[in-house]
Amino acid sequence: MKYYFKLGFVLFIITAIASGVLAYMNTITQPIIEENQRVAQEKARKEVLPSAITFEEVAGDPSYYIGKNAEENIVGYTFVASLYGYSSDVQTMVGVNPDLVIVKIKIVSQAETPGLGANCEKLEFQTQFSGMQKDRMLVDKDGGTIVSLTGATITTRTITNSIKTAMDKLDIPTEKTDGRIE
Amino acid sequence: MTLLKEFTKGFIKENPVFVMALGLCPTLAVTSSVVNAIGMGLAATFVLVFSNIFISLIKNFIPPKIRIPAFIVVIASFVTIVDMVMNAYLPAIHKSLGLFIPLIVVNCIILGRAEAFASKNNLIRSILDGLGMGLGFTLALVVIGGIREVLGAGQFLGYNLFPETFQPMLVAILAPGAFIVMGLLMGLMNLKKKKN
Repeated sequence: MKYYFKLGFVLFIITAIASGVLAYMNTITQPIIEENQRVAQEKARKEVLPSAITFEEVAGDPSYYIGKNAEENIVGYTFVASLYGYSSDVQTMVGVNPDLVIVKIKIVSQAETPGLGANCEKLEFQTQFSGMQKDRMLVDKDGGTIVSLTGATITTRTITNSIKTAMDKLDIPTEKTDGRIE
Repeated sequence: MTLLKEFTKGFIKENPVFVMALGLCPTLAVTSSVVNAIGMGLAATFVLVFSNIFISLIKNFIPPKIRIPAFIVVIASFVTIVDMVMNAYLPAIHKSLGLFIPLIVVNCIILGRAEAFASKNNLIRSILDGLGMGLGFTLALVVIGGIREVLGAGQFLGYNLFPETFQPMLVAILAPGAFIVMGLLMGLMNLKKKKN
Protein backbone atom coordinates (compact mmCIF):
# COMPACT_ATOMS: atom_id res chain seq x y z
CA MET A 1 0.00 0.00 0.00
CA LYS A 2 2.74 2.39 0.99
CA TYR A 3 4.44 1.67 -2.32
CA TYR A 4 1.44 2.85 -4.31
CA PHE A 5 1.25 6.08 -2.33
CA LYS A 6 4.85 6.64 -3.25
CA LEU A 7 4.10 6.13 -6.94
CA GLY A 8 1.27 8.64 -6.83
CA PHE A 9 3.39 11.10 -4.90
CA VAL A 10 6.28 10.97 -7.38
CA LEU A 11 3.93 11.50 -10.31
CA PHE A 12 2.26 14.34 -8.42
CA ILE A 13 5.60 16.09 -7.86
CA ILE A 14 6.56 15.75 -11.53
CA THR A 15 3.24 17.05 -12.85
CA ALA A 16 3.15 19.88 -10.29
CA ILE A 17 6.60 21.11 -11.35
CA ALA A 18 5.68 20.75 -15.03
CA SER A 19 2.46 22.74 -14.71
CA GLY A 20 4.25 25.44 -12.72
CA VAL A 21 6.88 25.86 -15.44
CA LEU A 22 4.23 25.86 -18.18
CA ALA A 23 2.08 28.43 -16.38
CA TYR A 24 5.08 30.71 -16.11
CA MET A 25 5.99 30.27 -19.81
CA ASN A 26 2.39 30.98 -20.72
CA THR A 27 2.39 34.33 -18.94
CA ILE A 28 5.45 35.33 -20.97
CA THR A 29 4.33 34.15 -24.40
CA GLN A 30 0.57 34.79 -24.26
CA PRO A 31 0.74 38.60 -24.63
CA ILE A 32 3.24 38.29 -27.50
CA ILE A 33 1.04 35.78 -29.32
CA GLU A 34 -2.02 38.00 -28.96
CA GLU A 35 -0.06 41.04 -30.08
CA ASN A 36 1.21 39.12 -33.13
CA GLN A 37 -2.32 38.16 -34.13
CA ARG A 38 -3.55 41.72 -33.66
CA VAL A 39 -0.71 43.13 -35.77
CA ALA A 40 -1.28 40.52 -38.49
CA GLN A 41 -5.00 41.34 -38.63
CA GLU A 42 -4.28 45.06 -38.65
CA LYS A 43 -1.78 44.62 -41.49
CA ALA A 44 -4.23 42.53 -43.52
CA ARG A 45 -6.93 45.18 -43.03
CA LYS A 46 -4.59 47.94 -44.24
CA GLU A 47 -3.69 45.82 -47.24
CA VAL A 48 -7.26 45.20 -48.42
CA LEU A 49 -8.38 48.78 -47.79
CA PRO A 50 -5.28 50.92 -48.42
CA SER A 51 -7.13 54.26 -48.36
CA ALA A 52 -8.23 53.84 -44.74
CA ILE A 53 -6.10 55.21 -41.93
CA THR A 54 -8.09 54.09 -38.91
CA PHE A 55 -10.38 51.15 -38.37
CA GLU A 56 -13.33 50.92 -36.06
CA GLU A 57 -14.69 47.58 -34.99
CA VAL A 58 -18.41 46.92 -35.23
CA ALA A 59 -19.47 43.99 -33.11
CA GLY A 60 -21.75 41.39 -34.63
CA ASP A 61 -21.68 37.92 -36.05
CA PRO A 62 -19.40 38.13 -37.89
CA SER A 63 -17.99 41.46 -36.82
CA TYR A 64 -16.63 43.90 -39.36
CA TYR A 65 -14.49 47.02 -39.36
CA ILE A 66 -15.29 50.49 -40.70
CA GLY A 67 -12.32 52.02 -42.45
CA LYS A 68 -11.94 55.79 -42.18
CA ASN A 69 -9.48 58.14 -43.84
CA ALA A 70 -7.66 61.08 -42.27
CA GLU A 71 -10.76 63.30 -42.60
CA GLU A 72 -12.84 60.75 -40.67
CA ASN A 73 -14.84 59.88 -43.80
CA ILE A 74 -15.88 56.28 -44.32
CA VAL A 75 -13.87 54.83 -47.17
CA GLY A 76 -15.02 51.24 -46.85
CA TYR A 77 -15.41 48.15 -44.72
CA THR A 78 -13.32 45.08 -44.05
CA PHE A 79 -14.42 41.66 -42.86
CA VAL A 80 -13.16 38.10 -42.73
CA ALA A 81 -14.96 35.53 -44.87
CA SER A 82 -14.45 31.95 -43.81
CA LEU A 83 -15.63 28.62 -45.22
CA TYR A 84 -14.36 25.05 -45.29
CA GLY A 85 -12.67 24.36 -48.63
CA TYR A 86 -11.09 21.15 -49.87
CA SER A 87 -8.98 20.34 -46.80
CA SER A 88 -9.09 23.35 -44.49
CA ASP A 89 -10.90 26.44 -43.38
CA VAL A 90 -10.08 29.14 -45.89
CA GLN A 91 -10.14 32.59 -44.35
CA THR A 92 -10.19 35.61 -46.58
CA MET A 93 -9.83 39.22 -45.50
CA VAL A 94 -12.05 41.32 -47.76
CA GLY A 95 -12.04 45.07 -48.22
CA VAL A 96 -15.06 46.72 -49.85
CA ASN A 97 -15.82 50.35 -50.62
CA PRO A 98 -19.04 51.97 -49.32
CA ASP A 99 -20.92 50.67 -52.41
CA LEU A 100 -19.86 47.14 -51.45
CA VAL A 101 -17.58 46.79 -54.46
CA ILE A 102 -14.54 44.70 -53.56
CA VAL A 103 -11.36 46.74 -53.29
CA LYS A 104 -9.04 43.86 -52.59
CA ILE A 105 -9.01 40.44 -50.97
CA LYS A 106 -6.27 38.61 -49.14
CA ILE A 107 -6.22 34.97 -48.10
CA VAL A 108 -5.14 35.12 -44.47
CA SER A 109 -5.28 31.45 -43.54
CA GLN A 110 -5.55 28.21 -45.53
CA ALA A 111 -4.09 24.72 -45.65
CA GLU A 112 -5.30 23.53 -49.05
CA THR A 113 -3.38 21.09 -51.24
CA PRO A 114 0.13 22.45 -51.88
CA GLY A 115 0.64 23.25 -55.56
CA LEU A 116 -3.10 23.25 -56.30
CA GLY A 117 -5.50 24.90 -53.87
CA ALA A 118 -2.68 26.59 -51.99
CA ASN A 119 -2.07 28.68 -55.12
CA CYS A 120 -4.99 30.81 -53.95
CA GLU A 121 -2.37 32.76 -52.02
CA LYS A 122 -0.86 33.96 -55.30
CA LEU A 123 -1.42 37.58 -56.21
CA GLU A 124 -2.74 36.86 -59.74
CA PHE A 125 -5.62 34.91 -58.24
CA GLN A 126 -6.53 37.42 -55.58
CA THR A 127 -6.42 40.52 -57.80
CA GLN A 128 -9.19 39.24 -60.07
CA PHE A 129 -11.67 39.80 -57.26
CA SER A 130 -10.91 43.52 -57.17
CA GLY A 131 -13.73 45.65 -58.55
CA MET A 132 -16.32 42.88 -58.29
CA GLN A 133 -19.77 43.14 -56.83
CA LYS A 134 -21.60 40.41 -55.00
CA ASP A 135 -24.12 39.46 -57.68
CA ARG A 136 -21.48 39.34 -60.44
CA MET A 137 -19.16 37.07 -58.52
CA LEU A 138 -19.25 33.63 -60.11
CA VAL A 139 -16.58 31.04 -60.88
CA ASP A 140 -15.97 30.37 -64.60
CA LYS A 141 -17.20 26.76 -64.29
CA ASP A 142 -20.54 28.21 -63.16
CA GLY A 143 -20.64 30.72 -66.00
CA GLY A 144 -18.90 33.59 -64.23
CA THR A 145 -15.68 35.46 -64.79
CA ILE A 146 -13.50 34.29 -61.91
CA VAL A 147 -10.80 32.09 -63.40
CA SER A 148 -10.56 29.04 -61.18
CA LEU A 149 -7.24 27.67 -60.02
CA THR A 150 -5.96 24.72 -62.03
CA GLY A 151 -7.14 21.55 -60.33
CA ALA A 152 -8.72 23.44 -57.45
CA THR A 153 -12.22 24.43 -58.47
CA ILE A 154 -13.45 23.58 -54.98
CA THR A 155 -11.06 26.04 -53.37
CA THR A 156 -11.98 28.73 -55.88
CA ARG A 157 -15.71 28.18 -55.30
CA THR A 158 -15.19 28.15 -51.54
CA ILE A 159 -13.50 31.54 -51.56
CA THR A 160 -16.11 33.04 -53.88
CA ASN A 161 -19.02 31.65 -51.88
CA SER A 162 -17.52 32.56 -48.53
CA ILE A 163 -17.25 36.21 -49.60
CA LYS A 164 -20.83 36.15 -50.88
CA THR A 165 -22.21 34.56 -47.71
CA ALA A 166 -20.27 36.92 -45.52
CA MET A 167 -21.62 39.90 -47.44
CA ASP A 168 -25.16 38.57 -47.04
CA LYS A 169 -24.71 38.08 -43.32
CA LEU A 170 -23.06 41.42 -42.68
CA ASP A 171 -25.28 44.18 -41.53
CA ILE A 172 -23.39 46.97 -43.26
CA PRO A 173 -25.43 50.17 -43.46
CA THR A 174 -25.79 50.76 -47.20
CA GLU A 175 -26.55 54.49 -47.24
CA LYS A 176 -24.28 56.33 -49.63
CA THR A 177 -21.66 58.69 -48.27
CA ASP A 178 -22.79 61.66 -50.39
CA GLY A 179 -20.40 61.21 -53.26
CA ARG A 180 -17.23 61.19 -51.24
CA ILE A 181 -16.56 57.61 -52.20
CA GLU A 182 -12.98 57.15 -53.22
CA MET B 1 31.60 3.85 -27.00
CA THR B 2 33.49 7.14 -27.13
CA LEU B 3 31.66 10.40 -26.54
CA LEU B 4 32.18 11.54 -30.12
CA LYS B 5 30.62 8.35 -31.46
CA GLU B 6 27.67 8.87 -29.12
CA PHE B 7 27.10 12.19 -30.87
CA THR B 8 27.67 11.17 -34.48
CA LYS B 9 25.87 7.83 -34.48
CA GLY B 10 22.53 9.61 -35.08
CA PHE B 11 23.67 11.13 -38.37
CA ILE B 12 24.07 8.02 -40.50
CA LYS B 13 24.77 4.79 -38.63
CA GLU B 14 21.66 4.95 -36.43
CA ASN B 15 19.77 7.67 -38.28
CA PRO B 16 16.31 7.79 -36.68
CA VAL B 17 14.44 8.08 -39.97
CA PHE B 18 16.44 6.07 -42.50
CA VAL B 19 17.81 3.32 -40.27
CA MET B 20 15.51 3.03 -37.25
CA ALA B 21 12.38 4.14 -39.18
CA LEU B 22 11.15 6.22 -36.23
CA GLY B 23 9.11 9.43 -36.41
CA LEU B 24 7.89 8.74 -39.90
CA CYS B 25 4.59 10.57 -39.53
CA PRO B 26 6.12 14.06 -39.18
CA THR B 27 8.79 13.06 -41.70
CA LEU B 28 6.17 12.41 -44.35
CA ALA B 29 3.91 15.29 -43.42
CA VAL B 30 6.14 18.33 -43.01
CA THR B 31 8.83 17.77 -45.64
CA SER B 32 6.98 19.60 -48.42
CA SER B 33 9.49 22.44 -48.06
CA VAL B 34 12.97 22.88 -46.63
CA VAL B 35 11.89 25.65 -44.24
CA ASN B 36 9.26 23.40 -42.67
CA ALA B 37 11.79 20.58 -42.45
CA ILE B 38 14.33 22.76 -40.63
CA GLY B 39 11.66 24.15 -38.28
CA MET B 40 10.34 20.71 -37.41
CA GLY B 41 13.81 19.20 -37.07
CA LEU B 42 15.09 21.89 -34.73
CA ALA B 43 11.91 21.87 -32.63
CA ALA B 44 12.25 18.11 -32.21
CA THR B 45 15.97 18.46 -31.44
CA PHE B 46 15.24 20.96 -28.67
CA VAL B 47 12.65 18.68 -27.11
CA LEU B 48 14.93 15.68 -27.48
CA VAL B 49 17.94 17.33 -25.82
CA PHE B 50 16.00 18.77 -22.90
CA SER B 51 13.88 15.71 -22.23
CA ASN B 52 17.06 13.60 -22.34
CA ILE B 53 18.73 15.95 -19.85
CA PHE B 54 15.82 15.84 -17.44
CA ILE B 55 15.16 12.16 -17.69
CA SER B 56 18.84 11.41 -17.20
CA LEU B 57 18.84 13.60 -14.07
CA ILE B 58 15.70 12.20 -12.47
CA LYS B 59 16.10 8.57 -13.59
CA ASN B 60 17.08 7.42 -10.10
CA PHE B 61 14.04 8.98 -8.42
CA ILE B 62 11.43 7.50 -10.72
CA PRO B 63 10.08 4.09 -9.74
CA PRO B 64 10.25 1.80 -12.80
CA LYS B 65 6.49 1.16 -12.69
CA ILE B 66 5.60 4.75 -13.54
CA ARG B 67 8.54 5.66 -15.73
CA ILE B 68 6.50 5.92 -18.98
CA PRO B 69 3.90 8.42 -17.63
CA ALA B 70 6.72 10.37 -15.98
CA PHE B 71 8.67 10.52 -19.26
CA ILE B 72 5.58 11.61 -21.15
CA VAL B 73 4.89 14.45 -18.71
CA VAL B 74 8.48 15.68 -19.13
CA ILE B 75 8.32 15.42 -22.92
CA ALA B 76 4.87 17.01 -23.16
CA SER B 77 6.05 19.95 -21.03
CA PHE B 78 8.95 20.68 -23.35
CA VAL B 79 6.76 20.29 -26.43
CA THR B 80 4.28 22.79 -25.00
CA ILE B 81 7.12 25.21 -24.30
CA VAL B 82 8.35 24.87 -27.89
CA ASP B 83 4.80 25.32 -29.15
CA MET B 84 4.27 28.53 -27.18
CA VAL B 85 7.71 30.01 -27.93
CA MET B 86 7.42 29.30 -31.66
CA ASN B 87 3.93 30.76 -31.74
CA ALA B 88 5.24 33.92 -30.09
CA TYR B 89 8.52 34.42 -31.93
CA LEU B 90 8.24 32.46 -35.20
CA PRO B 91 4.55 32.73 -36.08
CA ALA B 92 5.05 32.03 -39.80
CA ILE B 93 6.78 28.66 -39.33
CA HIS B 94 4.45 27.82 -36.45
CA LYS B 95 1.48 28.37 -38.73
CA SER B 96 2.79 26.20 -41.55
CA LEU B 97 3.77 23.34 -39.21
CA GLY B 98 0.38 23.59 -37.53
CA LEU B 99 -0.72 20.51 -35.65
CA PHE B 100 2.63 18.76 -36.04
CA ILE B 101 4.28 20.79 -33.28
CA PRO B 102 1.99 19.50 -30.49
CA LEU B 103 2.28 16.06 -32.09
CA ILE B 104 6.03 15.97 -31.28
CA VAL B 105 4.79 14.56 -27.95
CA VAL B 106 3.98 11.27 -29.63
CA ASN B 107 7.04 11.28 -31.88
CA CYS B 108 8.51 7.90 -31.10
CA ILE B 109 12.10 9.12 -31.51
CA ILE B 110 11.79 11.14 -28.33
CA LEU B 111 10.11 8.56 -26.12
CA GLY B 112 12.37 5.96 -27.71
CA ARG B 113 15.57 7.80 -26.75
CA ALA B 114 14.21 8.53 -23.27
CA GLU B 115 13.41 4.88 -22.66
CA ALA B 116 16.33 3.27 -24.45
CA PHE B 117 19.09 5.73 -23.69
CA ALA B 118 18.56 8.61 -21.26
CA SER B 119 17.05 6.45 -18.52
CA LYS B 120 20.19 4.27 -18.55
CA ASN B 121 23.04 6.69 -19.24
CA ASN B 122 24.65 9.67 -17.54
CA LEU B 123 24.00 13.32 -18.27
CA ILE B 124 26.81 14.04 -20.76
CA ARG B 125 26.08 10.98 -22.87
CA SER B 126 22.35 11.73 -22.82
CA ILE B 127 22.90 15.29 -24.05
CA LEU B 128 25.18 14.10 -26.87
CA ASP B 129 22.73 11.35 -27.79
CA GLY B 130 19.80 13.78 -27.88
CA LEU B 131 21.74 16.33 -29.91
CA GLY B 132 23.04 13.75 -32.39
CA MET B 133 19.68 12.05 -32.86
CA GLY B 134 17.91 15.40 -33.21
CA LEU B 135 20.37 16.65 -35.80
CA GLY B 136 20.19 13.29 -37.61
CA PHE B 137 16.41 13.67 -37.73
CA THR B 138 16.80 17.25 -38.99
CA LEU B 139 19.28 16.10 -41.63
CA ALA B 140 16.88 13.43 -42.88
CA LEU B 141 13.99 15.93 -43.01
CA VAL B 142 16.08 18.52 -44.87
CA VAL B 143 17.29 15.98 -47.46
CA ILE B 144 13.75 14.73 -48.13
CA GLY B 145 12.33 18.27 -48.01
CA GLY B 146 15.03 19.55 -50.37
CA ILE B 147 14.38 16.87 -52.98
CA ARG B 148 10.61 17.34 -52.75
CA GLU B 149 10.74 21.13 -52.90
CA VAL B 150 13.12 21.22 -55.89
CA LEU B 151 11.13 18.62 -57.85
CA GLY B 152 7.65 19.58 -56.75
CA ALA B 153 7.80 23.36 -56.64
CA GLY B 154 10.98 24.21 -58.56
CA GLN B 155 12.21 26.11 -55.53
CA PHE B 156 14.81 25.78 -52.81
CA LEU B 157 14.20 27.60 -49.51
CA GLY B 158 11.53 29.55 -51.38
CA TYR B 159 13.81 30.81 -54.17
CA ASN B 160 12.90 29.95 -57.74
CA LEU B 161 15.56 27.76 -59.33
CA PHE B 162 14.18 27.43 -62.81
CA PRO B 163 12.81 29.80 -65.50
CA GLU B 164 9.06 30.51 -65.53
CA THR B 165 8.42 27.85 -68.18
CA PHE B 166 9.51 25.01 -65.82
CA GLN B 167 6.61 22.74 -65.00
CA PRO B 168 7.21 21.30 -61.50
CA MET B 169 6.52 17.63 -60.82
CA LEU B 170 3.52 18.21 -58.60
CA VAL B 171 3.36 14.69 -57.22
CA ALA B 172 6.65 15.21 -55.36
CA ILE B 173 5.10 17.81 -53.08
CA LEU B 174 1.93 15.80 -52.42
CA ALA B 175 1.69 12.88 -49.99
CA PRO B 176 2.67 10.11 -52.46
CA GLY B 177 5.87 12.03 -53.26
CA ALA B 178 6.87 11.87 -49.61
CA PHE B 179 6.59 8.08 -49.58
CA ILE B 180 8.44 7.69 -52.89
CA VAL B 181 11.35 9.99 -51.95
CA MET B 182 11.70 8.47 -48.49
CA GLY B 183 11.53 4.93 -49.85
CA LEU B 184 14.22 5.60 -52.44
CA LEU B 185 16.52 7.20 -49.84
CA MET B 186 16.02 4.28 -47.43
CA GLY B 187 16.83 1.90 -50.27
CA LEU B 188 20.02 3.81 -51.05
CA MET B 189 21.07 3.66 -47.40
CA ASN B 190 20.49 -0.11 -47.33
CA LEU B 191 22.39 -0.59 -50.56
CA LYS B 192 25.35 1.31 -49.13
CA LYS B 193 25.23 -0.72 -45.93
CA LYS B 194 25.21 -4.01 -47.84
CA LYS B 195 28.27 -3.00 -49.88
CA ASN B 196 30.29 -2.24 -46.74
